[in-house]
Amino acid sequence: MEALLGPGGVLSDPEELLVYESDGLTLFRALADFVVFPRSAEQVAALVKLASRDGIPFVARGAGTGLSGGCLPSEGGLVISLMRMNRVLEVDYENQIAVVEPGLVNLHLSWAVGPQGFYYAPDPSSQQACTIGGNIANNSGGPHTLKYGVTTNHVLGLEVVLPDGELTWIGGKTRDAQGYDLVGLFVGSEGTFGIATKIVVRILKKPQAVKTVLAVFDQVDQASEAVSTVIARGLVPAAMEMIDQLTIEAVEDAFGCGYPRDAAAALLIELDGLAAGMEAQAERVVQACRDCGARDVRAARDEAERQLLWKGRKSAFGAYGRISPAYMVMDGVIPRTKLPYVLGRVNAIVAAHGLRVGNVFHAGDGNLHPNILYDPRRPGEEARVVAAGAEILKVCAEVGGSISGEHGIGLEKADYMPFIFSEADLACMRRVKDAFNPTGLCNPGKIFPSNKACVEVGPAYRPHPIEEKGLAQRF
Amino acid sequence: MPPALPDKLRSLVGAPHVLTGVDCSPYVVEGRTPEAVAFPGSREEVAAVLVAAGETGLPVTPWGGGTKMAIGSPPNRLGLVLGLKRLNRILEHEPGDLTVTVEAGLPLDALQAELGKRGQWLSLDAGAAERATVGGVLASDASGPRRHLYGTARDLVIGLTAVMADGSLVRGGGKVVKNVAGYDLPKLFIGSFGTLGVLVEATLKLRPRVDVDRLVVARFDRLKGAGAAARAVLGSDLVPSALELADGEALRRLGLGGGGALLVGLDGIAEQVDWEVAELRRLLGPLGLAETTVLDGPARDDAWRGLAGLGRPGQERVAAVMKWAVLPSQLAELMEAGATVAHRNGLVGALTAHAGVGIVTAVLAGGTNPNAVVATLTEWRALANRVGGHAMVEWAPLAVKERVAVWDTPGPTLRLMKGIKERLDPHGILNPGRFVGGI
Repeated sequence: MEALLGPGGVLSDPEELLVYESDGLTLFRALADFVVFPRSAEQVAALVKLASRDGIPFVARGAGTGLSGGCLPSEGGLVISLMRMNRVLEVDYENQIAVVEPGLVNLHLSWAVGPQGFYYAPDPSSQQACTIGGNIANNSGGPHTLKYGVTTNHVLGLEVVLPDGELTWIGGKTRDAQGYDLVGLFVGSEGTFGIATKIVVRILKKPQAVKTVLAVFDQVDQASEAVSTVIARGLVPAAMEMIDQLTIEAVEDAFGCGYPRDAAAALLIELDGLAAGMEAQAERVVQACRDCGARDVRAARDEAERQLLWKGRKSAFGAYGRISPAYMVMDGVIPRTKLPYVLGRVNAIVAAHGLRVGNVFHAGDGNLHPNILYDPRRPGEEARVVAAGAEILKVCAEVGGSISGEHGIGLEKADYMPFIFSEADLACMRRVKDAFNPTGLCNPGKIFPSNKACVEVGPAYRPHPIEEKGLAQRF
Repeated sequence: MPPALPDKLRSLVGAPHVLTGVDCSPYVVEGRTPEAVAFPGSREEVAAVLVAAGETGLPVTPWGGGTKMAIGSPPNRLGLVLGLKRLNRILEHEPGDLTVTVEAGLPLDALQAELGKRGQWLSLDAGAAERATVGGVLASDASGPRRHLYGTARDLVIGLTAVMADGSLVRGGGKVVKNVAGYDLPKLFIGSFGTLGVLVEATLKLRPRVDVDRLVVARFDRLKGAGAAARAVLGSDLVPSALELADGEALRRLGLGGGGALLVGLDGIAEQVDWEVAELRRLLGPLGLAETTVLDGPARDDAWRGLAGLGRPGQERVAAVMKWAVLPSQLAELMEAGATVAHRNGLVGALTAHAGVGIVTAVLAGGTNPNAVVATLTEWRALANRVGGHAMVEWAPLAVKERVAVWDTPGPTLRLMKGIKERLDPHGILNPGRFVGGI
């Protein structure tokens, strides 16, 4: 591998490997035997061929911001870091597509095409750090997916290294590729179908106008009701985010974004599109919130105020570091009309385990992110967190929802798959996996209930001092 | 067909729901009459029929409204047609969630009518909607002009249930609009033409109905002008719901004159649409715009229906229909080249395109001489392939299909596709021989 990648291309010192032992979900850890840094698709293919010849497990890794342990080398072997493949290879503004390498940071693509009036729509909260390749693996979402869809809705083609080392294209720059939708299957396959080495994505024209509204409520149920009411009145916001009281307090302590501390919940609602009619639509949103009992509704007066409101939302996870030594973020999805019921259950479940929870989430999509706060130094507390998390996901499943909206199954939720899928469903998925990855060497141990062989669980992560100061954050 | 099978089918789905002999003639595919037709009344009955067919090795072809049955290579044998028209219920519609769960045999128009009563719609404007069923639209990945803004089935389906060849019931996705749990099986089933499983249920994302919906027909002396107009719109602030290019022959067939045109769908609230219509005129004025017509109400619907109907099989004087997928920037030039090719072969081409996504519907008319049709389709495919695009024969007479491949020559990924097919339908009983690479 050193001959292939050159100096600095292979890590094998245990101290260096430690850096790669977990992702953003620090509950699980697994050590690789090697971490390798290819610079081209051909090098990735050569590495995969080597690994598959010798029966060594391998897994691709982007920025490591994942939240389900999906990129952990659960059976050791190779971690193939794609961080050195981070170029924008081609931008075709006329056809509104870009070709990028997998290690490109999500936000850097929007920066690259921004001067021409374009952007890349999927915007995970980690977009300052996470990579497009990682987004492909997880089919990542973000606040604006309410209107614009998730990663899979923006990917046209992929150059991939299949688990046997073959380098090939699925999809391309043109639409409606013939045959089965392999791109649709690959996106969201959590690195178990191969490694994407080039990615063709759609880039969108920036909307002409944006309007951001903050609605403040004295009761959580009123805010939940407002979410459904806005939708029921035929409005299609670009984003609709809910932040609860505990989270507001944490955010205000950390950043002072101007959310009222005594509110039970706040909704951040963003409209975008044509300037014409924007005021009228914003007025309809404001009215819907008032009708549901909002005590205060105000629109951001300028871009600076809008950015500040969004900072509160996007930095919320980091802000929990101020009020708790650790937290675990859940990622359930429910039909949005079930919000009041499920939020009540979430709070009751967490309280029954003697813990606290902060909620900050994509309310418009019904994508919950309960953040269970805990102290890993207290014996047994971590186990209670995991138990509460499982109960919450069971409730999501019971109301017709899902156990993951955007973070993926990974190692974390593999055992919870039967909450929503039957034996036959899982058998079908395993057969599809077998078509891509018959040896199972490509990202083993993921997404299906079974073994977590070499994975170490706990003791948990402690926030870094710079995270506690609000200068850095996990997402 | 084993002689006992018709009785077995009758016992499974009820005698009135099984056709045999001459009664099967409405279900002919590529000149072949099925050996039997069965209409199960539930997904359990679908499973029972599949198991029974599998035991005797009889191929099974799922059938919704039958509007896309002309797509595909001619089958070697047509065994059992499995009609889904009895599975036509709306199972769950929660307007506040903007989702609906339906059975696969529900016609698209019937669904839209029900949704309309609650102020919502499914933003999938596949043609022949009075007959086309939800399951058929998904299995054939059918779409219409509004895919420009609202996407295709892959963007709108959030859950699918299929009965597999072994009779097992498999569900992928779910009922919520955002969901990454498990592999995205709905994507696999969409556009799989019944080769992997029989779709029995789907959960779909909905949209609120728009206040105002207009169609602006912007006419130019030449298609090239309309092509430049399309690029101007794509580079502007406008947010059209549809953006269609039509060449002179297509316009003549629609009764809209000749030359070339850009058809722009604009929807939203009145203030938005009014601004967009004015902005469109301002943008296109300097590009040689000859005339604009703004259509609303029945005139708008007729124009969209006419456009969708141009390539419908059985349309008078249509010899073949081909779909190309190319880059949007290549459209106008390729469409002109395509019309020239048809003309050189003594035929007429009527070409339209989804201008924002680069999908051309090329209708061949003006004669049925198989040599001329074969020559034109072959050259059309070469035109699309030469610029990196692909081509598919959407409809052609059997005599032509025997000489022109329906699908492009598949690339190395055929291995993966065949691997999936073999694992999900190991005995190859589901609609065999019609799909890409002989799947």
